[in-house]
Amino acid sequence: MAEVEETLKRIQSQNGVQGIIIVNTEGIPIKTTLDNASTVQYAGLIHQLVMKARSTVRDIDPQNDLTFLRVRSKKNEIMIAPDKDYFLIVIQNPSD
Amino acid sequence: MPVNFPDVQGKRDTVKEQVTEDMLKEVIDLYISETDSISLLDIPSTFVSVDADDAEPIMERNNQYAEACRSRMDNDKYVDQSVQTLNGATKNKQVQSDSIVMVDKATTVTSWDVYDSLISPDTGNNASGWVLSPVMSLLACIILLCFSSASAASSLKEVEALGNSLNAESDLQLIMLSEKFQHCLLVMERSILGNIFQPQLAAYRQLPVIEDPESPVKPGMGEQREEDAESPRSPAVVRLWAFSCELSRGSSVSSMAWNKKNPDLLAVGYGEFGSSNQKPGLVCCWSLKNPTWPERVIRCDSAVTSLDFSSNNPSQLAVGMQDGSIAIYNVKSRDNKACFISSSGCPNRHLDPVWQLRWTQQELSLTGEEKVESLFSVAADGRISKWFVSNNGLDCIDLMKLKKSHNTKKKAGGTTTGKKTESVLSALTPGLCFDFHPTDASVYLVGTWEGLIHKCSCSNSQQFLETFKKHFCPVNHVTWSPLSPDVFLSCSADWTIQLWKQDHHKPVLGFTSTQRTVCDIKWSPKWATVFGAVNEGQLEIWDLNSSILDPVIVQPAAAGVKMNSLLFAPQTDCVLVGDSDGQVTVYQSIDSPNLLFSNLTNFF
Repeated sequence: MAEVEETLKRIQSQNGVQGIIIVNTEGIPIKTTLDNASTVQYAGLIHQLVMKARSTVRDIDPQNDLTFLRVRSKKNEIMIAPDKDYFLIVIQNPSD
Repeated sequence: MPVNFPDVQGKRDTVKEQVTEDMLKEVIDLYISETDSISLLDIPSTFVSVDADDAEPIMERNNQYAEACRSRMDNDKYVDQSVQTLNGATKNKQVQSDSIVMVDKATTVTSWDVYDSLISPDTGNNASGWVLSPVMSLLACIILLCFSSASAASSLKEVEALGNSLNAESDLQLIMLSEKFQHCLLVMERSILGNIFQPQLAAYRQLPVIEDPESPVKPGMGEQREEDAESPRSPAVVRLWAFSCELSRGSSVSSMAWNKKNPDLLAVGYGEFGSSNQKPGLVCCWSLKNPTWPERVIRCDSAVTSLDFSSNNPSQLAVGMQDGSIAIYNVKSRDNKACFISSSGCPNRHLDPVWQLRWTQQELSLTGEEKVESLFSVAADGRISKWFVSNNGLDCIDLMKLKKSHNTKKKAGGTTTGKKTESVLSALTPGLCFDFHPTDASVYLVGTWEGLIHKCSCSNSQQFLETFKKHFCPVNHVTWSPLSPDVFLSCSADWTIQLWKQDHHKPVLGFTSTQRTVCDIKWSPKWATVFGAVNEGQLEIWDLNSSILDPVIVQPAAAGVKMNSLLFAPQTDCVLVGDSDGQVTVYQSIDSPNLLFSNLTNFF
């Protein structure tokens, strides 16, 4: 447990990391380092995106499954690690 | 009752019976029932054409019948009877049913939906999951209502929200403890670091560095690029990154080794050697994918002096320590103490620092096929031992004892104080380094404290095959050339590096560049004439092809830091240097033409 907390702290302190959000299956953010409004916004929007991405991957081959999703935009990069029970979302600005 | 159908004639072909008087009186039972085609009162009328053959008798009979009907009134043969069918009275009855609720339900089925329902028949799991959470939230609500009287007035929504948050907390705990989440975090951390270190890692792997198209163009860079392009590129090393973390800061790097199977995994041993008290040492396994935190951290009882990965079992790491003990760790598992074998129970163990360890494969002489791997060590008590695992511990047999040599050089008129002092001190001299021949694994070289290099064989444990004398200070490192046979290098605290050929007693070449003890020396795995050397103040890369007097590349150490150890990275042109501050810095040598120097200056 302490190791997990340490790893999260390390990730948070890396260069350019703007925020970490952990969302459960129902779409409710259960741990976040951003403010409430952004968290809710990210959680809601990304939930839909991941569902769509996962559906796409599995439609092509039902035995396949989505393991990681990265969305690179002009200002930052959103990295999402989806799982059956949760999503882990990290927003990073790599050019910092 | 006799039944007479006088009019039914036309269709029947049956022969008419002669009706006798007796037969008429006989009671014949006839049962009338409906069949599929004949109903109870079925009197099909027949029409006969007037022109038919049997028309006349029919017409006669018709006339007879008409007369019989006319005379009916008085005739007893014919009785008038009427029949009435009873029609039941109609009754209205009303029935009303529940309105049938029609609901429109639609679903989009995807192919994975179909696959999932076929493969996993227990979809009841999902349903139960959904049932549980409202039940849990209901329980939570009840509990809250019982305990908080003040908030009894709170609306149901609030309580529900609280219930949800309790749910969420337990969810969080469950999630954080699961292994999948830890793996997730690992991947995420590596991706983030991949983003941050992308140019350096790409340079390490000799891939073209991607320039970020959106990054703001610094105004001064354009001119500098032009300048660089014009000046001739002199070979130099560029610092890519450094493996360092808080755990290792302050300790000095004593040894480094690459994993034999996974070329991205590096084991680094740390220890503090300055002070005489034995402080605990540290081994960190670093992965190239995460230069900021080691993958595995192993704490050892005393300072680590040497380590080596096994090739037969790539996850076994042998660690030699300053107190003479040797331990074998398995780095696969995350538990620190799992699969840990130590030599502390062995009666023959070294009592002095183990200066070098090596796993070497040796052919079994009988079969000549199997390559058995054994662990060899050389220690400051002058013994070279071969270790094997027995009874949950390590046990060793001595391969060679390094006896002090008689000082025969000073015979001619010099004082021979050597002989007298020998009898007082122990007869063994500390061995500092050894190296096995790359092709013939039974022959090895040992460098000693006295400055001698002995060539020995595994089969002869009494005598040295040859002795090479040149150094007069402890030989710090000796290494065979991997590419050119029978050539080896040695470096020593007498500020020199010597290049030897196997059969010559005198070195072929000697190199000196600074007046400092040369700590470590390694051949380049790719180029036969290139080797690297580290003395305390700088990293030197020598290329015998271009110059035998001066190193080709010199990289000074950072201020206040002494460089200790050196390792070449296989398959890339990078060099790793460990220093006394606990940092392992990766330098890339850039005389390779594919690398664009200008790209790298943008990032540093």
